[in-house]
Amino acid sequence: MHLPPWFWFGLVTLVSWGIVGLLQKLSTNHLSAEWALVWLAIGFFILEPWLYPGKTLFTYSTRSLAWALLSGVFNALGAWALLAALKSGGKASIVTPFTALYPIVVVFLAPFILHESITGLQAVGIVCALIAVVLLSTESSTG
Amino acid sequence: MRVAQGLKAKWFWYSLLAVLFWGAWILCSKLGTNEIPATTMQFIFAFGFIPVAILVLITKRIKFEKSVKGISFSLGNGVLAGIGGLTLLAAYRSGGNTSVITAATALYPLITVLLAVLVLRERLNWLQMIGLGFAAAAIVIFSL
Repeated sequence: MHLPPWFWFGLVTLVSWGIVGLLQKLSTNHLSAEWALVWLAIGFFILEPWLYPGKTLFTYSTRSLAWALLSGVFNALGAWALLAALKSGGKASIVTPFTALYPIVVVFLAPFILHESITGLQAVGIVCALIAVVLLSTESSTG
Repeated sequence: MRVAQGLKAKWFWYSLLAVLFWGAWILCSKLGTNEIPATTMQFIFAFGFIPVAILVLITKRIKFEKSVKGISFSLGNGVLAGIGGLTLLAAYRSGGNTSVITAATALYPLITVLLAVLVLRERLNWLQMIGLGFAAAAIVIFSL
């Protein structure tokens, strides 16, 4: 079996974000969701000394730097909107699976913005993944 | 009738906003990684959180909460989310299909659910069990 190059990177993302999901449950037992978000943002900065690119930072085009900064802003706004949905009466069992559907936006916009298309088999995989995400995000009972 | 009520609900529109914002986050990430390495992308990404975090604190006027446990978990969250973000960017930069990578990494509730069973002693409901099957199918298809 030949695994694509992105597979192992994706696996690390899957596992680390999976642990984040668990820690999030534990952190909001002790903190409001707002403070949990603020401390999460501060947590990002713990990694900054290792990520600091030095002078090369200023060699990239303004457009690419803007994409990078906007990616952070949009991610944070998504987290804020999720909090707002939960605060304004949305049930976690509905809101969480709903917001987990963000890959749909990418699937629909990728052909126009990134000029990427997907094969039939990849489409089947994406549909399976989306169904899995929605079902897995339903609330489990504490035993 | 129920659909119409749902469309009037604030939470529905906030949830839709979250989906759109996160979709935009992925597209911006991919566009940025065309030129910028994953580590530098993640370095800049963190600064995008500052205005939103300040906005949350100002608009909600929330009091400081002193919980060492809660703060430790959240800081750990930030570090782990950062590492996950970094490898996601590396995956995009490796040239794989953006839609496929996004859908595959969005499967992270799979790990959360399994850890919740192991660590928090939660039981899976039958929908989650079916979800595990779909997740396994997706992973097999993506690895072909």
